[in-house]
Amino acid sequence: MKKISRRRFVEGTSAGIVAVAAIPAVEAQQKAAVTPANQPGVPRTTIKLNINGVDHRIEVEDRWTLVELLRDHLELTGTKIGCDRGECGACTVLVDGTPLYSCSQLAVWMNGRSIQTVEGLAKNGKLDPLQEAFIEHDAPQCGYCTSGQLMIAKALLMKNARPTRDEVRAAMTGNLCRCSNYNHYVEAVMAASGTAPSTGGGNAA
Amino acid sequence: MTPLKTVGHATHRIDALQRVTGAAKYTSDVHLPGMLYARVLRSPHPHARIRKIDLTKAMGLPGVKAILTHENCDVTWSSGDQLNQRRLFNNPVRFAGDPVAAIAAVDRHVAEDATHLIEVDYEVLPFLTDLEEALKPGAIAIHEGGNLSLNNQRQPLPQTYKRGNVAEGLKAADRVFEDNFTSAHHNNAQLEMRVSVAEWAGDKLTVHAATQGIANCRTDIAKDLKISADNVRVISEYMGGGFGNKNQCQDSDLMAALLAKQAGAPVKLEFTRKEDFVAVHGRWSSRQSYKVGVKNDGTLTAIQFTALTGAGAYRKGSCDLAGTEIYQVPNLETSVSPVYTNTAVAANYRAPAYPQGVFGIESLMDDVAYGLKMDPMEFRLKNMTRKFRDQTPYTSIGLEDCIRKGAEKFEWKKRWKPIAGSGDGPVKRGAGMAMGMFGSGLGRSSAVVRLDGTGQYRLHVGVTDVGTAAKTTMGLIAAEELGVPLEKVTVVWGDTDTCPFSVGESGSRTTVQTGMAVIEAVRDLKKQIAEKGPPKGSDVLTAMATTNPAPLQGQSRNSFVAHFAEVEVNVETGHTIVTRFVSAHDSGRVVNPLTAQSQVQGGAIQGIGMALHEELLYDKRSGQPLNAGYYGARIMTHLDAPLVDVVWVETDEPYGPFGAKTLGEPTIIPTVAAVANAVYNAIGRRVKSLPITRDKILGVLA
Repeated sequence: MKKISRRRFVEGTSAGIVAVAAIPAVEAQQKAAVTPANQPGVPRTTIKLNINGVDHRIEVEDRWTLVELLRDHLELTGTKIGCDRGECGACTVLVDGTPLYSCSQLAVWMNGRSIQTVEGLAKNGKLDPLQEAFIEHDAPQCGYCTSGQLMIAKALLMKNARPTRDEVRAAMTGNLCRCSNYNHYVEAVMAASGTAPSTGGGNAA
Repeated sequence: MTPLKTVGHATHRIDALQRVTGAAKYTSDVHLPGMLYARVLRSPHPHARIRKIDLTKAMGLPGVKAILTHENCDVTWSSGDQLNQRRLFNNPVRFAGDPVAAIAAVDRHVAEDATHLIEVDYEVLPFLTDLEEALKPGAIAIHEGGNLSLNNQRQPLPQTYKRGNVAEGLKAADRVFEDNFTSAHHNNAQLEMRVSVAEWAGDKLTVHAATQGIANCRTDIAKDLKISADNVRVISEYMGGGFGNKNQCQDSDLMAALLAKQAGAPVKLEFTRKEDFVAVHGRWSSRQSYKVGVKNDGTLTAIQFTALTGAGAYRKGSCDLAGTEIYQVPNLETSVSPVYTNTAVAANYRAPAYPQGVFGIESLMDDVAYGLKMDPMEFRLKNMTRKFRDQTPYTSIGLEDCIRKGAEKFEWKKRWKPIAGSGDGPVKRGAGMAMGMFGSGLGRSSAVVRLDGTGQYRLHVGVTDVGTAAKTTMGLIAAEELGVPLEKVTVVWGDTDTCPFSVGESGSRTTVQTGMAVIEAVRDLKKQIAEKGPPKGSDVLTAMATTNPAPLQGQSRNSFVAHFAEVEVNVETGHTIVTRFVSAHDSGRVVNPLTAQSQVQGGAIQGIGMALHEELLYDKRSGQPLNAGYYGARIMTHLDAPLVDVVWVETDEPYGPFGAKTLGEPTIIPTVAAVANAVYNAIGRRVKSLPITRDKILGVLA
């Protein structure tokens, strides 16, 4: 077994996004994180980020990935881990509107960023048109990849409100579905594209 | 067939909202107060004896709470392996990935760090990766008694079937065709990895398990841990796919329970994606040999079939092969021998014995048809099964309609080329078809239904819903029998404390078996309502049923399927894509056409991956798996997936809930063969080994 730390692995294999965005001046609705396990000798950093419209200030271990922060420490378990190595897309979230595999991003890189997860898709109790279409067209089978499929589809429709079938397939091909319900996923996105808003930011409320 | 009010109409899943909002709680989403995280240390060697394990450094790491090894944990994992009594931790270890230790610690990082601090002294042993080498005289024995695994009678002999006299049948033939085919070990690769969360309260154990059957999981855990089943509760609210590899109880369930006991705290054990590929299981590989005798008019006279299958390091599934049963033939002999090697364990994956066996027989039958200058579709219509094993009538059979209606939808006559390999240009198009069948027997299951003063019905069924929409199906069946809208039925599922026994969601049995129990329970409830009147206020009426029908005498109950594929093969690069696909299914009455369509399309697309890409590769010199993970195993993606057209052939079936037959597994049975036959039709050469990768296509063209 290779002895390589999570942080070195992630830094070595992804583009190495540097957190430069300014920390939001106003921290409305600041939410305390679930108390993390306190490991001696593990470097920790305090970051500020916005998740689904809520500002958070949280001390993270530098080795935590974004998906680990969301799932283990913020109880946002809608985002799933299917491989934890950047292969399957189950953990796809939007970071400042850009779809990223949250297993391949370190939490400390998220300082100053806005994250949207599946829990942030519905607004004011109203489902996103994509969610409606996913139900209508039976897009989820086991449902484990569904959050990721929703987020990548959301990113696509924000950029391209009326994609063709092949554009949908190409945009979503980094999101695996082993139930292989690809036909219904594409159908659902095509249906939603008829009603989806043509503009919108990553985290716009 | 009489149309029904609720059953047979496209209906959204009753839990669709939870699945699209992230609210659905899967096992890995369970967080318990004070919960520890576990990791497994696995053997890096394909075969080795453990001389010594030193835990000093690992136990000294702050945050480590419990460690299990074969030295302090001698527990049999029987549910996974009835024949060989595999243990949770084995010595010797028999494949690269065999568990050596499990560690529970305060968080996942400490648990992982601790795996690197365990010092294991291995005596490395010689190993085997090849089926034929494993059976050679003088080969090292992976298990006592040798490398030929046991048949269903627990004898180290092949599994066999015989009718008629094959030697005479071959003598009576005008022509004899023979050939060999191989298929690869490939992985279920469901998105949700193995995960268990275990918690003890005194003697009472609760396991949140990602299981295809909470009832079986519970009895298996109790048996292996030697505790009363009354003290075991299994919960599986939402399940992220399994396709056969989450049947019964898992080693992770037992490890989590034992770690939780040792640590005195709840434990979550999640396997990694690599572990899921090398240390869970995939479909068994095969080496198949066929001899087929045929008259010049296309009438079959005999089939002889012998095969080896790759069980991997431990026996876990039947390791049998199916396929010959779809043909009417008076003389048939089959012999299948499961063989141990020092590789990943093989067990159930969607129609476990079928797609690879059907690939073999349907490839050869295609050759027979071309050899006799017959249209392969006409050849199949002539020789397809009419009675089970040529003897027992089917309760209903829509195979001919599957072939005819599927061919019509596919435009077979237009797309299939009488001269295989014909056509100009580097990109060649071809069409292929294949057929299949799957048992849909009746069997034991239970259901409870309750009505209270509010007028709402509560249906308790022990399903977990592995993605098949089983909860919705059960609700629809109850609503139909009650004569009320689906909204009036609340389905309670996924918890052994609140649900009665349900057959596991394996063998595509839930709709038929648990569905019948639901109908029986509802009938009883209706009788009570008729006698006593509907309950008022806080009154409750409850009915329960356990159906345990005797096996059908003198009849066989099966589902049938025909698949049609069109491919484009670039003969310069070997690149192959499926451009058109039609799945025609006789599953009796379709309970929910919307979710059934998902099943059929998904099954076919999975099968295309098996046909063209997927294989867990081993390096013969090191015994190491080479491509464990999604990229390396090349499972189907959005861009690979063609549109799959679905044709329903709803036969009038006298048994089962409203005439429903089995569906989930048949969806993948003939897919691989249909694609392989389409590749042959395109290029005029046959690839006889799965998967049909570019190098093999270029190889047969060279």
